[in-house]
Amino acid sequence: MAGRIIDWIDQRFPLTKFIKHELTEYPTPRNLSYWWNFGSLAGIVLVIQIVSGIFLAMHYKPDALMAFDSVEHIMRNVNYGWLIRYMHSTGASAFFIVIYIHMARTLFYGSYRAPRELMWWTGQVLLLMLMATAFMGYLLPWGQMSYWGAQVITSLFGATPFIGDDVVRWLRGDFVVGDATLTRFFALHYLFPFLIVGMVVIHLVALHMVKSSNPSGINLADKDNIPFHPYYTIKDLFGFGVFFIVFAYFVFYSPNTFIEADNYEPANPLKTPPHIVPEWYFLPFYAILRAIPDLLGGVVAMGVSVVIFALMPFLDRSRIPGGAKYRPIYRVMFVLFVIDILVLSYVGLKPPSGSLVIVGQVATFVYFSLFTLLPFISRWEERWLRKKGLPPEVEELIRQEEEEAAKRGRRA
Amino acid sequence: MKQVILSLVIVVLGVFGAAGSQAGTTEVALKPIKVDRSLDSLRRGAQVVFDTCMRCHSLRYITYRDLLDMGLSKEEVDTLRGDRGLGEYLQTTMPPSAAKFHFGMLPPDLSLMAKARKNGPSYIYTLLTSYEEMSNGKIDNPVFPGIRMPDILNVTVETAPEERAVVEQQARDVVAFLEWAADPRAQERRELGVYVIVYLVILTALLYWRKRKIWSRLDEH
Repeated sequence: MAGRIIDWIDQRFPLTKFIKHELTEYPTPRNLSYWWNFGSLAGIVLVIQIVSGIFLAMHYKPDALMAFDSVEHIMRNVNYGWLIRYMHSTGASAFFIVIYIHMARTLFYGSYRAPRELMWWTGQVLLLMLMATAFMGYLLPWGQMSYWGAQVITSLFGATPFIGDDVVRWLRGDFVVGDATLTRFFALHYLFPFLIVGMVVIHLVALHMVKSSNPSGINLADKDNIPFHPYYTIKDLFGFGVFFIVFAYFVFYSPNTFIEADNYEPANPLKTPPHIVPEWYFLPFYAILRAIPDLLGGVVAMGVSVVIFALMPFLDRSRIPGGAKYRPIYRVMFVLFVIDILVLSYVGLKPPSGSLVIVGQVATFVYFSLFTLLPFISRWEERWLRKKGLPPEVEELIRQEEEEAAKRGRRA
Repeated sequence: MKQVILSLVIVVLGVFGAAGSQAGTTEVALKPIKVDRSLDSLRRGAQVVFDTCMRCHSLRYITYRDLLDMGLSKEEVDTLRGDRGLGEYLQTTMPPSAAKFHFGMLPPDLSLMAKARKNGPSYIYTLLTSYEEMSNGKIDNPVFPGIRMPDILNVTVETAPEERAVVEQQARDVVAFLEWAADPRAQERRELGVYVIVYLVILTALLYWRKRKIWSRLDEH
């Protein structure tokens, strides 16, 4: 009976073919480490956020006079409302942790290189959409930090030449952040996740075209592949399990780790908090903004610091496979970059004071230097490594790669 | 990769260590406190809050019915509420005009105070117990200078050791009650969390076992 139903469907919709092509026969490199779990983890966090968000929206009131109370109503009176709300607030931070690790893995192993540029760029768009969604969502509880964070970030758009004030007013729907801002942020915060789902589909279609990268950095297509199902379905499920244990710990035992204390005070347009900090996941970029003395310059630097990742396929001109694995200098740059991000986060967290301002400016300089020097360093590093001699297996892999590329070139 | 991770871990610990020491010097020194979450402490705390705090402060997210959920008996709640309805929230007896007259402002609502300040419980405890008589004879709170709230627990009057112990116990009980008020579902949350995490650990162990099993098929080739 089941077989007949599937036959019936298959004549009208490529169900079996799809499952075969994308799961049971989809070739995946067998050497993927656990760092390759973070893509599917980002997917499951997106699901958590959408599901918990829909249930929150059933009880939340996007109204400046009721928003704060309605969140407390969810926390206190709605059945398991506290669970839904804490899952959503913790999920936002979890999303960024997972995405940042996912990006770090891509940078470390050079997964952004040809032919995966579109994977990297669609991922970059996803990052921007995620940031926008998180920023708008943070306004909704209508606490002090929500309000003043939104006030500060929207005012940055005032740096736009000539039409700055109009842009800010257009974004806020008012002269200051107010009810109009809250309602539009709520509407967009509800819309964006579904746009993200669409973008994720594009990200995955691109993935299934070029297949997964792998720690060796060599294109392993047709060389050492195993089917995605059951090997990676079970590995991803195990990854979900580990993730959910950590996630549950924060939701049940430390749910306020990622919530600023100030945000439990209702928004008050007449009382500026002594120290306004953005959410932790914006801190490095916020530090870059503050490192530049000029507002327009700072805003531009901040914007560039986020989208500069998109240039990686052009900036990294080395053809040595394996990302940082066989590239000692790139590895040093990678570590330096992560340290720099942590320093910037710390600077962004603290009120700007004498020595910290200098630290922030140095860290900003290092941040952009690493990107701008990469084309020269990567070229020089490749020449140096070739002259020094790579491990024989790597030389062999490069030779095979070049042969295949030549073959592909002839066909095309 | 392992070396990279190790060096990053060291740096992260360094950065947060530096952050911790920095925080200690810039923020006011709070007296650390372990919150006593027993029903006895909550009951005593509720009594102090009703007798003293609520002369000026309200708790607009707590109703008398919530006090039943907290564990007080029907009789106890009836005594506290007098002729107010079970569904009414805990409202101060002081009219807003009087508050404005005495303090120049409306005393803040206390429902969320334990969460709305960093280290909320320690913050409240420190605030309540740090009043002192200054050299000019006026009573002030050196940790929160110029605070408009009076020394409500009589810290400056009850200076004998045994009296002071009573006052500090009262402050602790108030903290317990306000911590409960800031998140009445916290107990439910902590209880449920154990089951969820135990379940997840078992599930994850089983998944790991399945993963090993499935991946072992590859070794045969």
